[in-house]
Amino acid sequence: MVMTLRRTLSIPLQWITVPTTALLVAPVAYITFLAFHGNAAVWQRLWATRLPELLWNTVALAVSVSVLTFLLGFSLAWFVVRYEFPGRRIWEWALVLPLAMPTYVLAYVYAHLLGMGGPVDQWWQSLFGPGAHMLAPHSFTGVSIIMALDTYPFVYLLARGALLSLNVSYEEVSRVCGVSPWQTLWRVTLPLIRPAIVAGLALVVLYVISDFGAISLLRYQTLTYAVYQQMTGRYDQSAASILSVLLVVMALVFLVAERWFRQRSRFYQTSGRYKTSERRRCGSFGPWGMTAWAALVSSVAFGIPAAVLVYWSVAAIEQGALDARFVGFIWNSAFLSCLAATCAIVVGLPLAYLASRRPTPLNLACLQAAYAGYALPGPVAALAVLALFTAFIPFLYGSVVILIIAYVIHFLPAGLQSLEPAIQQVTPNLEEAGRTLGLRTRQTLWLITLPLIRNGFLAAWVLMFLQSMKELPATLLLRPVGFDTLAIRVWLEASEEYYELAAPSALLIVILSLPALLLLASKDWRTA
Amino acid sequence: MLHVITRRLPWLLALIVISGSLAITDGYLLAADTLVVYSGRAERLIKPVLDEFQTQTGIHVKLLSSGTTDLVNRLKAEGERTPADVLITNDAGSLEHARELKLLRPLNLSEVDHAIPPQFRAQDDSWIGLSGRFWILVYNTQQVKSDQIQSLLELAEPRWKDKIAIPNAGSEYLQAGVSVIKATHGDERTKQFLTGLKANAGPHVYQKSSQIVDAVAKGQAAIGIVNHYYIYRHLNAQPEAPIAALMPDQQEGGMGAIMNVAGIGVSQYSRHLDSAKLLVEFLVAQAGQRFFAELNKEYPLRPEVQADPALVARHSFRVAMVPLARLAELREPTLTLIEQVGLR
Repeated sequence: MVMTLRRTLSIPLQWITVPTTALLVAPVAYITFLAFHGNAAVWQRLWATRLPELLWNTVALAVSVSVLTFLLGFSLAWFVVRYEFPGRRIWEWALVLPLAMPTYVLAYVYAHLLGMGGPVDQWWQSLFGPGAHMLAPHSFTGVSIIMALDTYPFVYLLARGALLSLNVSYEEVSRVCGVSPWQTLWRVTLPLIRPAIVAGLALVVLYVISDFGAISLLRYQTLTYAVYQQMTGRYDQSAASILSVLLVVMALVFLVAERWFRQRSRFYQTSGRYKTSERRRCGSFGPWGMTAWAALVSSVAFGIPAAVLVYWSVAAIEQGALDARFVGFIWNSAFLSCLAATCAIVVGLPLAYLASRRPTPLNLACLQAAYAGYALPGPVAALAVLALFTAFIPFLYGSVVILIIAYVIHFLPAGLQSLEPAIQQVTPNLEEAGRTLGLRTRQTLWLITLPLIRNGFLAAWVLMFLQSMKELPATLLLRPVGFDTLAIRVWLEASEEYYELAAPSALLIVILSLPALLLLASKDWRTA
Repeated sequence: MLHVITRRLPWLLALIVISGSLAITDGYLLAADTLVVYSGRAERLIKPVLDEFQTQTGIHVKLLSSGTTDLVNRLKAEGERTPADVLITNDAGSLEHARELKLLRPLNLSEVDHAIPPQFRAQDDSWIGLSGRFWILVYNTQQVKSDQIQSLLELAEPRWKDKIAIPNAGSEYLQAGVSVIKATHGDERTKQFLTGLKANAGPHVYQKSSQIVDAVAKGQAAIGIVNHYYIYRHLNAQPEAPIAALMPDQQEGGMGAIMNVAGIGVSQYSRHLDSAKLLVEFLVAQAGQRFFAELNKEYPLRPEVQADPALVARHSFRVAMVPLARLAELREPTLTLIEQVGLR
């Protein structure tokens, strides 16, 4: 009985999953082929000119942003979980908000505020005399800080979750044995929550090496940006494909390393005695210091930029920015993102379902292959899809389909991360019970399985919707005629230095992201 | 509610398939009098002209703004399925390249022939220059005196270390300008120039000319290479800005100013040929020339139309002797040179 259920479902499903996996993997395979098939002289030229600098820039930025996000994310999570201080509940939430702000929005706001002659810069010079600059947003430090402000919530959320579920007895044992609080933190607590922190930092690193919008607005040269420049600056795409392949390899090496690292450090709760920590108050000065720190971070990362966006939006609206075209951009964004998220669910559900219900090597391989998009930054996904389709299915070029495919490849991994656990949590017994009670296979699926996984399903949809809406490089390169989205408008206006005109679109993206972010943060923040 | 959604999933799927296929066919179902324009020109510099054309003729215009090279790549990839009727770019080299790829259709319009001098058109009229633009030096008047520099090549001298701002290697106007220098001074000299330029610019490599002018106005850089009109645009918005323009290489025996044109070509596969020709005629007519050039403070190519009086008078400077059409063949070697030097 059980076998029949799984078999009847699995065979038609495989007819879906295998071709979709092929479609997901083909662009990357093709671009790799192009890169190695190309002229050796192009490799040589790249190596002699751009590569060392690009590799160094990319790695250096990833490292510095990781360090900063660790400091920000861990300290804030530690305060929020272990201490009581004024407004703790508010800060606990406010600290997640930067996730709603696309990095390119943060970048363009700060490029203007801190840039030479910007309001903050002028104020700074009035205090410290001419020639003094607070922070150059285009410098390495500036780029690192801006990226870190936008990505620290990854570390914060994961560290906070780990700290909340940490058994505090270990720390007590350490203290009883006479180890100082700092030593306990360093030798007991941090190692125990290391997997969570590593997972958070992994998200940060992937984010940094694949970011395009902020990097291009701040003119910092990374591999991802170079791919875009090569694609849009040359008729010949071989250099772009070589850089893309290097980028993919870099991301893969990193992902494998991270997975290996996480597997080595698994910790188990061995006894039944579990105790959560109690919140303490720390001196008379400490609580206010913590409040100040949380307030500073959340206002610099979200409050100030959001306020500036509102201010600019008002100015732009007075200039008549909210015309019929603007409504069109909203519609385009919503249409594309809905379509992409729904397609990704349709593609991702069978993949996740088969891998969990019938973990044959083929099914597992399909699922793993679908995660390949993780290692594909936007411009690379665009280039890969573009190269493949112009070579083999040219009539789709310039249509929405090709853009949707790029989105699905790019964002499916994020969706799978909440689909997979959702399916795994549904025990097959329920489906089997349904069958025993006389439901047919399809009825079981519609009446039992899908309703049970709908939360994971919704979370995945919302997540992919949001990411598609914020997506920039693939949209720029693949959008059909007359299909500008909100993200495109932000980037076009901001890169022409029309800060005010970019604001309404940017603000709208932030506002639309907020409810979804809160939904995700309250449920399964791991996927945010 | 959620339950309803799950139960309606097949309908939802059907809806998606339908809307998706509608989106695919969108390009083919465009109304008969809709003209699709691919434009490598900044959107705000082309949209008002197209809007004006739309009001005058009733022909609906759909615009795709992107990078010039990106658009040529796109036309090439789309081949005969392209929805594009017209290509407008900021660079004659790209238009010539598109012509060589047979992506543009030779036009035979008497209106064009007597409006635009032949050196600003393709030999078979498959592209037509609309307005002229020049490489110009923008300098910060608080940091630099106008007699401190005469030639572009001087920018490579060590005295300008960390003081200059340049466009990135992907921008067509940088590539075209370097092509002209290369054709005039030869490979070795150009390479020296680029090496010095790279060292002196340091991190001041910009995506857009407007950013260069902005950087110079704010004193981040003392001097920058831009297309001439960006200076006037900036001064229009901020008349107090401490910047001024300098036309380089006008000294005795100098190369002359580097010129490029913004131009238009009609797609080989356009299905709205009459409308496309109307647009070309609209843009070369006196009113169109004035409007097109005015918007961007460029030099109209139709001789009897006057340029904005704020610009350096057109007859007061010499132009480098490199034909526009050569920009296409010079481009690949120039790019190799640029990459050898390692410009960003």
